[in-house]
Amino acid sequence: MDYTFQFSVVFRELPYLLGGALVTLQIAFITFWCGAFIGVFGAVAKVYGGRISRRVASSYVTLFTNTPALVQIYLLYYALPDAGILLGSMTAVLIGLTLNAGAYLTEILRAGVISVRRSEIDAATALGMSLMQIVVNVMLPHIARTIYAPLSNFFIWLVLGSSMAAIFGVEELTGRAINISTANLRTIETFLVVAVIYVVLTVLASASLALVGRVAFRVRARVF
Amino acid sequence: MKHLEIRGLFSSYGSTRVLRDVSLDADKGEVVSLIGPSGSGKSTLLRVLIGLTPPTAGEVTIAGEKVDYRNRRSVKAVRDRMSIVFQQYNLFQNMTVLRNVTVAPIKIKKRPRAEAEKNAMSLLKRVGMAEKKDAYPDELSGGQQQRVAIARALATNPDILLLDEVTSALDPERVNEVLDTIRALTSEGITMLIASHEMAFVREVSTRIAMMDEGRIVECGSPSRVFDSPTKERTRDFVSKILKH
Repeated sequence: MDYTFQFSVVFRELPYLLGGALVTLQIAFITFWCGAFIGVFGAVAKVYGGRISRRVASSYVTLFTNTPALVQIYLLYYALPDAGILLGSMTAVLIGLTLNAGAYLTEILRAGVISVRRSEIDAATALGMSLMQIVVNVMLPHIARTIYAPLSNFFIWLVLGSSMAAIFGVEELTGRAINISTANLRTIETFLVVAVIYVVLTVLASASLALVGRVAFRVRARVF
Repeated sequence: MKHLEIRGLFSSYGSTRVLRDVSLDADKGEVVSLIGPSGSGKSTLLRVLIGLTPPTAGEVTIAGEKVDYRNRRSVKAVRDRMSIVFQQYNLFQNMTVLRNVTVAPIKIKKRPRAEAEKNAMSLLKRVGMAEKKDAYPDELSGGQQQRVAIARALATNPDILLLDEVTSALDPERVNEVLDTIRALTSEGITMLIASHEMAFVREVSTRIAMMDEGRIVECGSPSRVFDSPTKERTRDFVSKILKH
């Protein structure tokens, strides 16, 4: 192989790429929290809801976990304008990923809610705890422990999944990499550097999440 | 005045009547044991008393005060003076041993942490679990968990203690460590209601035995009377079957 690697043209653009990494993290954070908001309602509807709200939540989850996120964003971006709703590419990506995340987080949170043992609620009730005290002292710690690992994994999935935004012209990490490589024609070097940045992002994210889990929820998570 | 008075208590689960016209009373410091086959209503009776299962009819009076199980304040007053130990220990898995014992005094009775911990440590010492104070429940054997559960139940300073088949889930060799702990408590003036299949044990510690079957109290009397000369056929049958092995 007589290819000579030339990284300097990529390194020159490092600040630009790191800026893209920041956008990547922003997309992941926003869709994660908005998705979690939907997920709380979805999970409560699925566990405690009546027949209709259970149906609605189940249909939503089935629909969004069984189609690719990319297809969902495509539909939002290209189909909604026909219905008179024009979305910017970033908005379409955020909404699409949020709806997708909401469906997955509904399932993750539901597993958390049903992990609370009836017997512990009985014990807390018999000791005289109020509903609020039971939720805070008994239920939430269980839920947090159960959903902690899948939640961390899902956040990392979102960090990586946000690269789909590049297809719609959003200048996050992958988008900026495409921009650079089309200009400097050093595609391999550019994407090698981008891969490293992604690894650093996800390793940092999972390490800090594991640390939080250990300290706050007594999860036996490995930091590294 | 009786310390605990139960009159005509009924409870249903769906269309099944789990308790039918149960009446029972206990003087202060008395140890009354409930025996009878599984599903006879022993556990339900205890759960109704502490407000975990609603009664459908009947009256419960504690130290002269009538309990209204539909009134939150009245139920809270009951739980202030009554504790229960469950068959499956029901410890809070996310809390250490010490925290399991201190959580109610601190959160509910609003005691200062230092005082609650000091009291908890002396309780843990009594049940022989002081050196495990920083362990989590899943690191303990069943017998150890149950002893912690007993300490937790005592931490709120109850004058009525309900024990719901506390040795039924234990390995045979762990049963005695829990029974020894309970035996030591019977002389402390706490009124106790014990649902149990440990016939030799209840015979030894109880002042009275109540035989339950199909949601009713079939027979009630001193241990020697119920075990040696039961008047009811059902009791005779149950006792002879259970004492044979």
